[in-house]
Amino acid sequence: MPVPYGALIPLGIITAMFGVSGSLLHLTKTYAHEGKPPRYCLDNWDKQMMERDKRLTGSPHRQTSEPIAPKEFTTNSVWYLTSKRILWQ
Amino acid sequence: MAVPKNPNISDYAFVDPTPMPAEIPKVDEVGSTSAPLHSAAYFIGAYCKEYNEDFMLCKNENNDPAHCLKEGRKVTRCAIDLLRKLRENCDKEFEAHWNCLDTNNQEFHRCRAPERKFNACVLSALKLEKFIPDSPQGKPPIHLKENPLYS
Repeated sequence: MPVPYGALIPLGIITAMFGVSGSLLHLTKTYAHEGKPPRYCLDNWDKQMMERDKRLTGSPHRQTSEPIAPKEFTTNSVWYLTSKRILWQ
Repeated sequence: MAVPKNPNISDYAFVDPTPMPAEIPKVDEVGSTSAPLHSAAYFIGAYCKEYNEDFMLCKNENNDPAHCLKEGRKVTRCAIDLLRKLRENCDKEFEAHWNCLDTNNQEFHRCRAPERKFNACVLSALKLEKFIPDSPQGKPPIHLKENPLYS
């Protein structure tokens, strides 16, 4: 029986669909995290550090290694307004 | 329909209407974000050991924030000093290492190659060595292990 070359057409379409949806997922994740892969397995330390990064640079994903913080950093913390609960994870 | 936001990240600008009282001495805060701090962590531990231990012992006595402000100021100033020195002497290797950490979820074991270069540079320029406390005796510490199984 001859090789069914016609079956490669729907196979190619399905492969292209997988590729397109995977690429769109990767693009949206990268766009949402300012060009970096998403953070995962975040514990309370990492969440609080990301909030600190946001206070320093305006975004939880942006990093800077300036030794001295800008003036606004001393007064822009909402920590004292939040209800502090001890979360065990 | 509002997209639910991350509850751990504040989403509006806030200015504290009750800043510190004037009699407390002012100190510049550490301005580096999480990736450079992770990268410099063991060197801050080596360079600022006495100030850090003072602060922890003081906190051990009394956990009230107002009790340990003086020791805390010393810790902050020491960390700022070390960050300045790292940027002056080893800026390229430092930046390479924390950029690598930034794209790898801040996990050390995924960035050993830039870390080795950075540790060598800091050892030659600032004579600081990375030491992991409580690592098992008799075996090389994890950052010096040759051919680890995972990365």
